[in-house]
Amino acid sequence: MSTLIELAGITKVLKGQEQPRTILDGVHLTVEAGQSVAIVGRSGSGKSTLLSVIGLFDRADSGSYRLEGQEIGRVPERRAARLRSSHFGFVFQRFFLLKHLTAAQNVAMALVNGQGWLPRRQRRTRVMEALEEVGIAHLAKNRPTKMSGGEQQRVAIARALVRDPKILLADEPTGALDTETGALVIDALLAATRRGCGLILVTHDRDHAARMGRTHDLVDGVLNERVAVR
Amino acid sequence: MRRFSGRFRSSLIIGLQGIRARKLRTLLSMISLFLGVLAVVVVQAGASIAERALLADLELTAGYDGTRIMEMAPQQAAADTVTTTVRGRTDAVAMLAVSGIIGEPGVTPVNPGGSPIDEDWGPPMNCDENGCVPIGGPKGEAVEVRLTALTGDVRQFRPFRQVSGQWLNFTTVPAMAPKLVLNREAAKAFDRHRVPAEMRVGGAANNVTPQFTGVVDDGDGQPRAYVRLDELTTWLPTSRLADPNTNSELRLMMAAGSPVEQVVVSKLKGQGNEPYVYTVETRKEQQKTLTLMQLVFFAMAGLVLLIGVAGILNVGLATVGERVEEFALRRAVGTPRFLLAGIVLVETLLTGLLTAAAAIGVSVAGLRVVSMLVGNSQPILQDVQFPWEAGVAGIIAGLVAGILGGFIPALRAARIPIATVMRA
Repeated sequence: MSTLIELAGITKVLKGQEQPRTILDGVHLTVEAGQSVAIVGRSGSGKSTLLSVIGLFDRADSGSYRLEGQEIGRVPERRAARLRSSHFGFVFQRFFLLKHLTAAQNVAMALVNGQGWLPRRQRRTRVMEALEEVGIAHLAKNRPTKMSGGEQQRVAIARALVRDPKILLADEPTGALDTETGALVIDALLAATRRGCGLILVTHDRDHAARMGRTHDLVDGVLNERVAVR
Repeated sequence: MRRFSGRFRSSLIIGLQGIRARKLRTLLSMISLFLGVLAVVVVQAGASIAERALLADLELTAGYDGTRIMEMAPQQAAADTVTTTVRGRTDAVAMLAVSGIIGEPGVTPVNPGGSPIDEDWGPPMNCDENGCVPIGGPKGEAVEVRLTALTGDVRQFRPFRQVSGQWLNFTTVPAMAPKLVLNREAAKAFDRHRVPAEMRVGGAANNVTPQFTGVVDDGDGQPRAYVRLDELTTWLPTSRLADPNTNSELRLMMAAGSPVEQVVVSKLKGQGNEPYVYTVETRKEQQKTLTLMQLVFFAMAGLVLLIGVAGILNVGLATVGERVEEFALRRAVGTPRFLLAGIVLVETLLTGLLTAAAAIGVSVAGLRVVSMLVGNSQPILQDVQFPWEAGVAGIIAGLVAGILGGFIPALRAARIPIATVMRA
């Protein structure tokens, strides 16, 4: 397996307050292709900040961040946007679907992002394949307001998968769903790992975390791998 | 290039989706901008129509831009030189004007001195050291006109508007009874006064029976009649048409670059006659008059447009505020910052263009209605076409308003922090 992500000594300090607060404190993490990693921690422990750094939404204050062996911790915003488009797929707790667009158009949004251009027919094929993959191709023309939470989250997963990302970053994707629907969403995310996509799942849910290949606990900015006891 | 095209298409698609999703806001933006763009379109249309009308009137009296005009003292030798030089040529036309009286013989015409028919210039006077005494017989049914003899078709230099009948035909054999084309003022005079068809020109061998063949608008306020020189000289020697003791006129109109000018000038100088030659520059002259007026109106239209821009800016900022999550999400899926700015700009530009289209449509329809309602009383508005310059001005105003109104919202959209989606 090839190494996708290598974080070494990542530190992030929240400034602008009376006392600067260390959010990430020397985080080390490696994710291989096809590997699934759960990051578990209490609210405010820095899980989302870590995901922001990995997804190039934010920059670490120090440490090394390698993506497929290349240092990308300090890339300019324009290249970061290109990398987000080509390497990452994002799934958020609140789906973030645009209400005025259909499911297919919401998925196509990731293809119409100014990073290369696909003709309409190819775009449609890719969108339908992505929706098929998460099992909701029949809802392609529905608007989010006509869908259940689980269906909306699966549209969001299809949007994350449509560009064939190398790594999926999921931030509490089941937080707004019931247990059964949440399990279906995790199924859809794990399905992507079977074709070589890495997965980093931030979750509070220990059951979902247990379904991942590895689980890390983030406590006060320090990331520790949990040893599996089965 | 391909990348640029992809980004342009992306922003166009997303922009159109944004407009479709927020139809009411787009409509509100359009309403706030509409009056401004309409003001620009109307001012430009008015300026263009006025300019064209003014230019057409000036061309009617002065001639087309670029026409060379030679004026000289009306002497017999000069008249002979000019008429023989331009005979058979199409690039130059000589005009010789004398007074002619059409109507009852032996009477003073209803408009002595060839005055406009509604004006009274008083009777002709004979003055000496003892004072002036009126001359001529009692007033009778006769009209005095300026009789202008032409060596060719002058309409290539002066765009006379045909009102009725036919213009002079210079290709036929000269008629024995000279054919006359009247201007509007002369036609008005003959409409009011029934006169016998008898024409007297000083120095003519006989009184002539003219035939009226048509009426033109030549922009002249004096009654005037146009006639072929060769038809008039059947009855009147050329020398009588260029008598320095009468109020005759001798003028030559030429196309720019015509060799006639050099030849005639040389010949006239040889005769001691110094001609005055100039080029018609009506557009340049009227431009000075119109520019100031245009600037004042455009400043007013600009102010109204600015209010529209403020409206589109206000709606744009509110829209970006509502779409913070959408823009952050778009950045999360790899959309570059400047494309987000582009999306907002495309939306405001399309709004500006739609507004321009609406304003142009309303202006075209309005102009048609005005033309139908008051076209008969205002010749300037008769069959008037919507000037393309006004359309272009409207589109430019719409685009400029779109850019100005969308610039700050676009910057704001581009600066939305991507982590917004993580914190939500």
